Amino acid sequence: MSVVLSVRDVVKTFGAVRAVDGVSFTVQRGTITGLLGRNGAGKTTTIRMITGVFFPDAGSIEWLGSDRDARDRIGYLPEERGLYRQMKVKEHLLFLAEIKGKRGGSVVADAERWLKRFELWDKRDAKVEELSKGNQQKVQLIGTLLHDPELIILDEPQSGLDPVNMLLVRNLLRELKDEGRTILLSTHMMAEAERMADEIILVHKGKVVLSGGLDAVRDSFGKNTLHIDYEGDGGFLEHLPQVKRATIVPNGAEISLADGADPQKILEATIGKLRIRRFELAAPSLEEIFIEQVGAETMEANR
Amino acid sequence: MNKMFAVIKREYLQAVRKKMFIFMTLFLPLLMTGLFIVPIIIAGGLGGKKVAVVDGTGALRDSFSHHIAPEVPDPKKALSGGSRGELPQSLDVEYADAHSVSDPATIARPYLARLNADKNSGKRLDAVLLIPANAFEGNDAKMIYYSRSSADLISLERLGSIANLAIQRQRLAARGIPPAVIDTLTRRVPVDSVQLSRTGEQKKGGDATFVVSFIFAGLLLIPSFIYGLETMRGIVQEKSERIVEVLVSSMTPRELLTGKILGVASVGLTQVAVWLTIIAAAGTIGATAAVQAGFNVSQFLRPMLFVYFILFFLLGYLTFVCIYAIAGAACNTDKEAQQLVAPIQFVMMVPWIIMFAIITNPDSATSVALSMMPVYGPLTMFVRTLVSEPPVWHIVVSIAVSLVTICVFFYATAKIFRVGILSYGKRPTIPELWRWMKVA
Repeated sequence: MSVVLSVRDVVKTFGAVRAVDGVSFTVQRGTITGLLGRNGAGKTTTIRMITGVFFPDAGSIEWLGSDRDARDRIGYLPEERGLYRQMKVKEHLLFLAEIKGKRGGSVVADAERWLKRFELWDKRDAKVEELSKGNQQKVQLIGTLLHDPELIILDEPQSGLDPVNMLLVRNLLRELKDEGRTILLSTHMMAEAERMADEIILVHKGKVVLSGGLDAVRDSFGKNTLHIDYEGDGGFLEHLPQVKRATIVPNGAEISLADGADPQKILEATIGKLRIRRFELAAPSLEEIFIEQVGAETMEANR
Repeated sequence: MNKMFAVIKREYLQAVRKKMFIFMTLFLPLLMTGLFIVPIIIAGGLGGKKVAVVDGTGALRDSFSHHIAPEVPDPKKALSGGSRGELPQSLDVEYADAHSVSDPATIARPYLARLNADKNSGKRLDAVLLIPANAFEGNDAKMIYYSRSSADLISLERLGSIANLAIQRQRLAARGIPPAVIDTLTRRVPVDSVQLSRTGEQKKGGDATFVVSFIFAGLLLIPSFIYGLETMRGIVQEKSERIVEVLVSSMTPRELLTGKILGVASVGLTQVAVWLTIIAAAGTIGATAAVQAGFNVSQFLRPMLFVYFILFFLLGYLTFVCIYAIAGAACNTDKEAQQLVAPIQFVMMVPWIIMFAIITNPDSATSVALSMMPVYGPLTMFVRTLVSEPPVWHIVVSIAVSLVTICVFFYATAKIFRVGILSYGKRPTIPELWRWMKVA
């Protein structure tokens, strides 16, 4: 595997705030790399430096063949919608391709193919502002991909999408990866990253707190997490002595075991209180890892 | 280069398709013309006044027995009158012979009462002129003019001069001078205004230049403000909706800015091209009629006018668009940007505000200085070429100054654009700005 993007000791300050504080990572060709973190962790600032929107205060950013034309081989989906409201959908897409140096019949054909695939064909001559937020997001996504980029940088691509469209995007990203493209995916939705990313970079307060292959990262936390699905009120689980920390959702819980705790004891405790549908000892979810890494101080801060 | 062209194309097509562009292109020339003609037509329409003349001499019936037509019956001629004081105005006169009574005032009383009669009764009078019985011979004879509005100077002048002329004729006739001789003696001598150019060419109807200059100055200036504002709003919108991120990740800010400004410039050029075509066509069609009315159109629609118009339009337009682009790049909301440009706009308006002085005194020190100053040069110089014949070196200096101004503004705009366009929410500090400028 070859390195497509390399970010080294990048720093960006806004006034007194160090938004990005010495971030370093690399992105390998043909992978989906998840850039994870809470809102305000420095993800978007990092991405804006990669795409040349901001200059870093210090550090360097290189991508394969960082020459002038290299940026035409990047597709960038900004965090918030970045479309001209008054332009017609198809016209807008062709404009986005043109500023990446692609024009002519083949781009028109590609645009039409994408519009059909994303169920926007009927809306091709509508103004962007007439579209729903989800449809605008899809237009933005097509605009990111239309010029056939090698490196695709997506900042929260699934915001505003319904579950069906989220699935559409998920499948699309896998497909793009299979075609050999490289994807840098910034998101605060851990579950989505978990489903798609090969590599993860966890950013917190402008610093990388964790990075590596998804499986390796999860394995490094050991198989000491209980995933339980059930019917009933599982609130009491939190207070069991074997439980270090529990994330309780309706009809389920993810439990970090205390050191040396026996999961069997927990199962026993549920008898008569919960109707168990799943009881699995596995590696922690990304969300759990995330909370483990950044949650402690966050909770202190909230206290 | 292709990317810049994409931006030019987008800016151009988006602007040209807007309803405002179509409206402005087709109606602004009409509107500008209308601004000058409508008040005259309205004044003409309202100008019919009812007055009564109570004549103590009883000898002036002939002079007042007919409807008094406006002195300048044609609005087109009224335009060339220059001063609004000579608006067309007709007078309906009711004549009352009062020589049989000892005091004409008793006859005048019912007429005076009608000054304040009900508007709709048809009896209402606008003015009453009282001519004393001793008007012909009395040394201290005085006519009295009664009216509701003391400012009705036009009717006063008209009636007064008609009465005086009639009285003088009566005096002459009383001394046995035959009517034909009286006609010769009292014939009025009209005044024509002629502009003499350096080449000795004589142009009639010089007063019309005044109005035409205003119309052309407006056509030159208004698009700069309107499309300047549009450019500013466009940049603010691109920033607030993050479109700029996509753009700047695809091209250099300078390419983007150049594309935007060239796009907007093409829009302006299209607009003035259409205007000039309309004016030329209307001028050709209307020329004959206008010439008959004593209004020589061809003296304005000479080829150099079109050349100068396009040249100075472009120079002024690009200067203004750059100024607005800076404001757009430096601010984050429309409101903020508008507050920033409001005082600047006022400063930019100076030549327009003192346009009257420039037109009437195109070769004064002030006019010459303004025509060679940055920002003010294009409009002032254009007006000077229209109403006068400035030396060639004045024109060359003016153009050179404007070109340098545009280059400097563009350079500054590009720098501020690079920094300002991406600084969301907060202004960059001076050291930051300086460092980024060096990078950019």
